[in-house]
Formats: sequence, C-alpha cells, structure tokens
Amino acid sequence: MSHDAQTGGGPVDPIPPEARTANLELWNHWTKVHEKSAFYDVEGFKAGTTSLWPLELEELGLYVREGTTLLHLQCHFGLDTLSWARLGAEVVGLDLSDEAIALARRLADEVGLSGRAEFICADLYAADAHLGERRFDVVFVSWGAIEWLPDLERWAGIIARHLEPGGTFYMAEIHPFGYALDEVPGEHDVQVKYRLQPAPDTPEVEPIEGSYADRDADTTGLVAYGWQHSLAEVTGALIGAGLRIEHLHEFPTSPAPSWDWMVKDEDRWWWLPAPDGGLRKDLPLSYSVRATRPWTEGG
Amino acid sequence: MLDDFLRANLASWDEAVGLHVDSDLYDVAGFKAGGTSLSEIELGELGPLVGERTSLLHLQCHFGLDTLSWARQGAIVTGVDFSGEGIKTARALAAEVGLSRRATFVQSDVESLPDKLSGSFDVVFTSWGALIWLGDLERWAAVIDHFLKPGGTVYIAEFHPYAFLLADDATPDSLRIGYPYFQYGVPQRFDEDGDYADPDATTQHTVTFEWLHGFGEIIDPLLSRGLRLDFLHELPYTVPGLPFKFLEKDDRGMLRVKGHHEDFPLTFTLKMTKEDR
Repeated sequence: MSHDAQTGGGPVDPIPPEARTANLELWNHWTKVHEKSAFYDVEGFKAGTTSLWPLELEELGLYVREGTTLLHLQCHFGLDTLSWARLGAEVVGLDLSDEAIALARRLADEVGLSGRAEFICADLYAADAHLGERRFDVVFVSWGAIEWLPDLERWAGIIARHLEPGGTFYMAEIHPFGYALDEVPGEHDVQVKYRLQPAPDTPEVEPIEGSYADRDADTTGLVAYGWQHSLAEVTGALIGAGLRIEHLHEFPTSPAPSWDWMVKDEDRWWWLPAPDGGLRKDLPLSYSVRATRPWTEGG
Repeated sequence: MLDDFLRANLASWDEAVGLHVDSDLYDVAGFKAGGTSLSEIELGELGPLVGERTSLLHLQCHFGLDTLSWARQGAIVTGVDFSGEGIKTARALAAEVGLSRRATFVQSDVESLPDKLSGSFDVVFTSWGALIWLGDLERWAAVIDHFLKPGGTVYIAEFHPYAFLLADDATPDSLRIGYPYFQYGVPQRFDEDGDYADPDATTQHTVTFEWLHGFGEIIDPLLSRGLRLDFLHELPYTVPGLPFKFLEKDDRGMLRVKGHHEDFPLTFTLKMTKEDR
C-alpha cells in the first residue's frame, strides 16, 4: 500500500470546496450554540459526568483502560474525547472546526485533562498529514460523523493506518434508514423520503434550521452538504481497508430528535411514538460497528 | 408454539411445490432443457468459488432447481428442505436430468439438520425468501457453522430487509411503511389466497407465519461464531418473485421500486468465511 500518496500533497480532497466552506461555517457556528445547549450539558461534564452513551461505554468501554491510546475522528468540541480521557485513555481528537478545537482545548485545561488530551484542527481527509505514523489502540467515531464525508474508502484507510495491529475500531452512528426518513405531512409518522443507496457524487444540500441540539438556534443562511451511506458501503470500506468486522448492532433509538414529536426516554434516547401512545421499536434509527485490525495482513 | 408455526408453513409449502413446478416463474422446462435457475447475482458472486467437486449445502432448497443448477456447474450438492413434497420433486428432477449421482436431497427443517445429516461442506448457500421462514437465526447460524469446513464459505443472496417493510399501497411519491424491520422473534400471521409464483391460484393452506430480520440480526450470529465477513452488498434490484404492487420489472427483468430504480435497495448478498486456524 502506498501510504505516501495519501499524505500531504496527495490526491485531491474528495470534499468539494463549496461543501467544505459551508460545512466549516456551519460547524463553527454550531459550536457556539452547542457549548450553551442543554443537549451537550457542558456544565454537567465539567462537574464530572460523562458525555458518552451507556451503549458506547458498554460496547467499547471494555477496550479502554488506563493508558489506552484513543483517536477520536470528527470529535466536535471534544466532550466525548475528554470523557474517554477521564476513563484513563490518552486521547487525540481531530475536527475540521477551529472554533470546536479551541473550545476542546479550553475544556481540557479547565477539567485538568490537558496532559492526556491533544486536539488537532484538520479536515478528516488531511488526518495523515497531521498524525504521521502514529498508531492508536482504539479509533472512535460517533453520531452524525460520516454523513459529512463523501468517500468512505479513504476514511477507512485513515482508520486502518492509525490503528495498532490488534487494535479496535468502534463507531456508533445514525442508521442509513433513519437518515432516509421524513415525516408524513400532518402526521406523527414517517415514510421513506431520501435515497437509501449511496451517491458519492451528489451531496444532499440542505438549508439548516436550528441544530439537532437546539432547534431554536438562529442558523439563518447556513447550509449543510451531506452524503448518504449504506451499511454495505460502511462495512465494505472497513473490510477493504483490512479491518475485520466483529459486530453489527442495530437499534430503534436515536441520540437526537429528527422531529419535535419524537419522544425522549430517561436514558436520553429518542424514539418514534407508536399510535397507541407507546414507543415504536420496529424501525432502525442507529447502529454500531466494532472492527479490529488483524495482527497479520489478511489474518 | 414454534411447531404450530412450522406446521402451518409446511402445509403451505407442500401445497406450493405443485403450483411452482408448473409456473412460468420457476420455468422447470427451461431448466430441463439445460438452463440455470440461478440469477446473474449469485452466479457472479458465488460462481467463481463453485468448481468441479466443490461440496455445496443448500439450505431451504424448495424443490431443488438452484441446488441442481449448482450441480450442473460441477458441484457435489446436498439440498435440504422441510417440505416432503419439495424433496420428492427435487429427487425426481435430479433423476430426470441425470444429476442424481452428484445431488442428495434431505427432508429436514434447518434446526434439526445436524441430527439428519453428517459431513461438512466447502460452501453453504441460501437464497431468495428463505430467512423469513426462520424465527431463530442464532440456531440457523449454529447450523451453518456446524456444516462449514474450515476455510469454507457461506453465501447468502436474499431480499433486502427494506424490501419487505413498505406498505402495500406505497407509491413512488409516498413510500409509506407498513411492516417492521425489527420483529424481535414474534412472527407476523398472513392469511392470503394465491401464490407469489401464481397470484391467480386458489390455495387451501393460506395461513403462514413469517419473520422479518434486520442486518444485525442476520449477520451478528455468524460474526459471533467467528466467521469473517468478506462482503455485504446492497443492490437496488432483485430477482422476480416478490408480489408487491410498488415494484416493476426493468428491461433486464429485474424488479425495482417504481420511481426509485437506483436508490431503494431490494437485494442483499453476503459472503463469510470460516477461517482455517
């Protein structure tokens, strides 16, 4: 494999310039909104709570202990990254937003985790140039990350190159089916609205109304460029990069509401309501994948 | 309870065999004349692994057309189905086309197969509308693992979980949802006259119990037994046989969702390997 071709001066960034500009502007703006949001609960984090979901702690926590090195790709302003650091990990968070990385560094200082947390401001596809030959025990990706990426083969290549042999990759994400849903007009029900097969060359371009963390936030003029991905595409990219899939789990819950009529449970998960007043458990809204980098190539 | 579900489904499948043998969909005459019943999908993806004397176990083989088509490619095949009518018809077909020496047929449900069959196989194959008849994929995965040789391959070509969940009256502009993705092992009861291969047929055994399964539910039991996932593919078309009104044939005869020919997956295939170690 020619690693050199992937680093500085390598292939053209798969993110079109207009998409990069729009998404960077959006994430810089959202960072300011999110810092003050109840959804992210920064005060709670400062007081000692974890921002990680019980799901992540249960499925990945086993692989993170004192001294584990962990790379968090697309880390936003680092709450989850720092929550892994609090569990003993030596963490590196990477995000495209300079506002988010500045906030992450301030937070790390404030809670006394600077010694074990490093934050890098970089586009995902430029990660190799910043990480060099560094390898980690764990690479972590979560919730609404890959929708910002057109090319998952290059994404998976970055993951594989920065994982130690025997290391663990873990992602918890919004389900492709959840992304494809829209509300039935006038009803508290959903139908398939968006494509379910990936289209790397045609991003969905959507005006932004508020934020998943604060629906009332003023986001006038902001636009997002996103890409739909399928489970075949995600698993295929990881397998193609040499990783071995260890689990694929699917859940009827979402970490954030897509519509204001969704229902939040006591564990912060959001559900579609059932017509009888209960919760709909029949549709997939999220999933997780764990994969390992084999000790030997092809092994 | 499971036995009641099995019994109802068995009566339906025993009855279906006669209808299917005479149907255009299955085209038994074409098979007898030398054609393959396999689609370009499984021929393209599994075909390269099936050569002269490859041992192949076909789970839920119905009356054996696909099983015998793999035998024609050189494989030594074993077809398994819970329907006695299916197995009887399969054996007769094998004899008629001269494949009896390389084709064995066993009447058994999937779960009981280790009690009725010994040996292990290079390839375990299952396809098109098989998994909805199984309530417990943990047991199914255990059976696959049991019969795979070290280094062997399991290959599945199936209707996509999404293909089953649109409402009967879904339209290109309104892809409403009528059925679940997650069913948690609780079957849906259907009571419908007719047959997917012959919608105008009048049938006696109209009640069936079916289970829809999501990807995690299908793949995870195989992963947790140590099988390695080689690929999972999703295709926006599928083989004929699904009787849904929101589907139409493309110019190659494959079914697609009306108005969504490229963006709604109807097929998944997967290949997994039992590593030799």
